Amino acid sequence: MHTQKKNQQDEISILVERVKSGDRESFMTLTRLYQRKVFQLAYSYFRNKEDALDIVQETFLRFYQKSHMFQKGKNFQNWLLQLAKNICIDYYRKHHKKDNELRREENIEEVNQTSHESSHHDPSSDFKEIFSRCLAKLSDKQRMIFVMKHYNHLHYSEIAQILNIALGTVKSHHFKAVRNLRTLMSPYIGRIE
Amino acid sequence: MKDCIKTNRNLVAFLYGELNEFDKNQVEAHLESCQKCKAELLELKEVYEAADLLNVDMEKAIESVDWENFPTRIADGVFDKEPSREKRPRRAGLWPFLFQPRFRLVYAGILLGIIVGAVVTFLIFRSPPLQVAVGGKIIVPQGFYDMMELEMARRDTIDYLDRSEYLLLDFVQSPLEKSIEFWQSDYAAQRALDLLSKKKYIDPQLDKIKLAKAKVICDQIELLFFELMQISDELSMEELKKIQRLIQERKLLLKIKLVRKELQKSEV
Repeated sequence: MHTQKKNQQDEISILVERVKSGDRESFMTLTRLYQRKVFQLAYSYFRNKEDALDIVQETFLRFYQKSHMFQKGKNFQNWLLQLAKNICIDYYRKHHKKDNELRREENIEEVNQTSHESSHHDPSSDFKEIFSRCLAKLSDKQRMIFVMKHYNHLHYSEIAQILNIALGTVKSHHFKAVRNLRTLMSPYIGRIE
Repeated sequence: MKDCIKTNRNLVAFLYGELNEFDKNQVEAHLESCQKCKAELLELKEVYEAADLLNVDMEKAIESVDWENFPTRIADGVFDKEPSREKRPRRAGLWPFLFQPRFRLVYAGILLGIIVGAVVTFLIFRSPPLQVAVGGKIIVPQGFYDMMELEMARRDTIDYLDRSEYLLLDFVQSPLEKSIEFWQSDYAAQRALDLLSKKKYIDPQLDKIKLAKAKVICDQIELLFFELMQISDELSMEELKKIQRLIQERKLLLKIKLVRKELQKSEV
């Protein structure tokens, strides 16, 4: 198992070396391998397909530009997700910060009421919307760690490597993120079945 | 209670399968006996399940993307738009905005203003520099020399007037017999001679405009001493009286005092 993983890493390193010298095919192979992972991270962060696709495109462009900075032997997926994470944060600050501040000011209760008034409302979609808003209320770091853990199924150690923080900090932020979500959602849990 | 706190801290990691075997067993054992922590776990599970609802949307979104052709699209964007790695898109920021070519004239104007301002300030406030010539001598401006000369002339004139006054007082205030005797003494002759030579020394200085008044009185004193020196050997009582009267009539001593006072006030 360990040997298989090492071989896989070596193959990835070879591909990255080729990308450094401008090999288009190797670039496309790496894109094919990791595009969904990057998309998952971006989609869970923005909840929007178009934004997520922009992030994927920008991440691989940034990878090509910075491929010379990748050190042989390092985990390529973590390095790529680190780039994606930085792009997500920049993108969010540039395009979404104001929208989200406005949305945050809108009471979650209003979402609940509006959907109940509508004749064809789907309770699960209400809950999704409420959850989305609660997630948006978390701090950048807590949100990113929650997304990486829940939707990308990364281990704490991998998240620590991607975010370049201590393992204990990841655990603590994840713990706080789930607790905060529970507190924010507690008025609605059990109300929408 | 202690177990509850520890379990509570580990519940999220337990839910996400991040605990090692030992901690996991401990949590499980505690949950079997503690209803409160069990209820807590159930609430956290509801959050977990709510988060899972979004997974459905994500799956749908993933399915709707044409992943087969997407790498080609990205590669086209990367390799066609970027001929060389050096030509990376520049991020918009404050510096690129400030260094736009359209601001060239504004910056040139500001720079010119600063230079002109600096030159004008320098010319107004500069103090005349002391120049050192070859050989270590200090060169001072011509104005400084003129001031020094005038000051020296003023001091020399005051000194000349002082000494003349004393000599004239000795001469005028003595009784007639004593005056003749005094004037015929070597001492008086020497003092008068000194004053005459001093006058010759200060003559060029007295030509300065500011010392014009002093020159008039000094000339009169000089003439007087000169005549006294000429006739001192055969000085009669009558002539002596005449000279003393002349000094009093012309108020020579008073004029000396006034001119001296004026000179002392006009210190350079």
